[in-house]
Amino acid sequence: MQDTGKNIIIAGVGGQGILLFSNLLSKFYLKLGYELKISDVIGLGQRGGGVESHFRYSDKPILSPFIKAGDVDYVISFEQTETLRYLHCLKDDGIVLSSTYELTSTSVNTGLQKAMPESKTEIIKRAENKKFIIDPEDHKSPDFNISKMMNVVMLGFYAELRGYSHDDMIQIVRESVPEKFVEGNIMAYQKGTEIAKAEIAAD
Amino acid sequence: MMNGNEAVARGAFEAGVKVAAGFPGTPSTEVMDYTHQRYPDIYCEWSTNEKVAVEVAIGASFAGYRSLALMKTVGLHVAADALGGAAGSQINGGLVLVVSDDVGRLAGDDYNDCRHYGNMFGLPMLEPGDSQEAKDFMVKAFEISEEYSTPVILKLTSVTCKTNSRVVIDEDCTYEAKCREKYPISFSKVIMTTIMMKAKGSEHPKLTKCFNDFPAHYKRLTNNCNDYDINQLELNGKKIGIITAGTPYYYAKEVLPEASFLKLGLIMPLPEKKIRELAEHVEELYVIEDGHDILEKNIKDLGISVIGKELWPKFPEMTRFTPDIIEEKLVPGAPKRTPIKDVPFRLPVSCAGCSHLFIAQILRKNKIRAAADVTCGLIGCFPHMEAYDLQKCMGSSIALAHGYNVAKDNKENFVAMIGDGGFWATGLAGLTNLIFNNSQSTVIVVDNSCLAMTGGQNVASSEFGFNYKPENKLDIAKVCEAIGVKDIVTVDAYEYDNLEKSILNAVNAKTNSVVIVKKPCVTKFKLPKNTPSYIDQDLCVKCGKCIKVGCLAIESKKAQDGSVDIVINQDICTGCGLCSTVCHKEAIKQ
Repeated sequence: MQDTGKNIIIAGVGGQGILLFSNLLSKFYLKLGYELKISDVIGLGQRGGGVESHFRYSDKPILSPFIKAGDVDYVISFEQTETLRYLHCLKDDGIVLSSTYELTSTSVNTGLQKAMPESKTEIIKRAENKKFIIDPEDHKSPDFNISKMMNVVMLGFYAELRGYSHDDMIQIVRESVPEKFVEGNIMAYQKGTEIAKAEIAAD
Repeated sequence: MMNGNEAVARGAFEAGVKVAAGFPGTPSTEVMDYTHQRYPDIYCEWSTNEKVAVEVAIGASFAGYRSLALMKTVGLHVAADALGGAAGSQINGGLVLVVSDDVGRLAGDDYNDCRHYGNMFGLPMLEPGDSQEAKDFMVKAFEISEEYSTPVILKLTSVTCKTNSRVVIDEDCTYEAKCREKYPISFSKVIMTTIMMKAKGSEHPKLTKCFNDFPAHYKRLTNNCNDYDINQLELNGKKIGIITAGTPYYYAKEVLPEASFLKLGLIMPLPEKKIRELAEHVEELYVIEDGHDILEKNIKDLGISVIGKELWPKFPEMTRFTPDIIEEKLVPGAPKRTPIKDVPFRLPVSCAGCSHLFIAQILRKNKIRAAADVTCGLIGCFPHMEAYDLQKCMGSSIALAHGYNVAKDNKENFVAMIGDGGFWATGLAGLTNLIFNNSQSTVIVVDNSCLAMTGGQNVASSEFGFNYKPENKLDIAKVCEAIGVKDIVTVDAYEYDNLEKSILNAVNAKTNSVVIVKKPCVTKFKLPKNTPSYIDQDLCVKCGKCIKVGCLAIESKKAQDGSVDIVINQDICTGCGLCSTVCHKEAIKQ
């Protein structure tokens, strides 16, 4: 069936390369001829804050830059506290891709707020949506620093999950990142596709 | 694909802008960066502050060229006097202020709304809803400015600035900055209002030649804007009618595809005929606007009743519209989604290795009370750091401390901390004031060689910038000396002991003093990192002193057995060593 478009929330914390992730993905969908609206609004002025990008592609003109809660097809999150913030926005058949990486909130560090009693990974696992949880610790590689390149790992994962052409996606990575980082990025991308293949097979 | 900021820069190019002056402010800082990078024909400058930027633009406009001034709404407060001077006066080259509201407090400002200035000064205002409109309205704003002899405000929001969408551009468009010298003179409104009020002698030709009938211009625009296609009337269903502008139009249109709409591109003055046409077409008329209830009040002033804040109460109940909020009130039976409870919130944190952390630590340790400025250092005001007692607006801390000290008969030394950005913006005026009024205050100037919080733009003492020339770089110490500061010392932020001694000496000296703390911004200048520190868990007693330092790299982590460890994030730590100075167990090692 022809894909008429999807609504994606991309979440994480500052410094995780969320802008690059959404930038690479936007180039891919533009090449496929989709209309796009991408809002990188949350987290624009503060360090250590959450980052939230609303990414919409469609074969029809897109109206709202923000996705209504309940209209989200994919939550792609690089930090699991942030995953929890958007789980309720997913459609019933929406899918969550979440890293288990966690940057403890300042409010918890300093005792202004209690830590959540339960493990965040467990809460995500309990969600009724289909979910893929990736622990970067399990996929460390001597070739690249996974904690810094989770964005491209996740791009590979997402592309595999959606059945997209890896050649096209890698070409976009090649064109978009500085020359000296191309190789590391491609290895990170391929790592993402491998993890996805294993996860999908196990699913 | 362009975000709103890129689109505005493109619009400036297409409009043939000659001069762009501004002051950085999230979310619209990038307008200037893109203009400078992509359109080298346009003269760009980061001005000393917003008031200066508007004055530069006014001068360029009088010289006959299209000019723009860029700032966020809190910056327009600073520039309001300059704008008031230009409002209602003769305009040669179009004069457009690009002003961004932080709707929803997404960038962390207060709940300001620049449209009040439109009402106060009688200025036309335009509000785009996406990037295409941001580009097109920019061109339109200049046309209106020239045709109706008035400054125009293009209102952006954090959403329009930071949303990417497709923009159709004319690739063949060439840059042309035309000179329009229509009026040989242009004065502020005082002279013109003298004539309007028919004061004695106001018929004299020397006065009448200065006359600019600005109320007539505005009235003409008020009539003509009923025919503007940017004020888009969509007569659909007869039940619900919505008057809106900017991105809220798209939220409402998505939720209520059957409703009738008036989407205002020109939000001031209002197209009365179109509003009445919509009002007659529908049973219920709503106004959906982010920010304050300005459209609502202006529409009600026309004698037309609309429903707005009675249905959607504004701050603090709500800081911005979303599609969800509209649906909840206007779509019966819409499903409601509830977020997971008690997900911890995030406070802003300083970058690891930031010089501000060193200063905050020394002030806190020595129980020195101090005022912070608008700088990355203001993070020290938040409850996780508790380093400062007072903080207001950009450039204020020096005068705040001075006021405190004179009120307390100089018996306490309440210290001022200010960044180099705030120092040059308006802090210098506070320092001058402090000297000639015989203050004994101490000022700590944090010189990180740029305006760090907005992403590292140049200030007068930076060694880079759009118009940088080494011989024109200003030196903070020399300026302080010239103003007459008695005691000036410059220290490196990372020399902890020396920094502490310098601050204590300055505070204890019974004179005015400035401590300049130098360290380039770690993020902007990508300073080389030292070996990261780590916490020896066998020695750590979990007292939490290191967490109080306020560094992004220091976290509390739940261990497998449920106990909580304090750890240093190795990817974030720069190895600056500040946290090891507070650990009495010497558990922090490198």
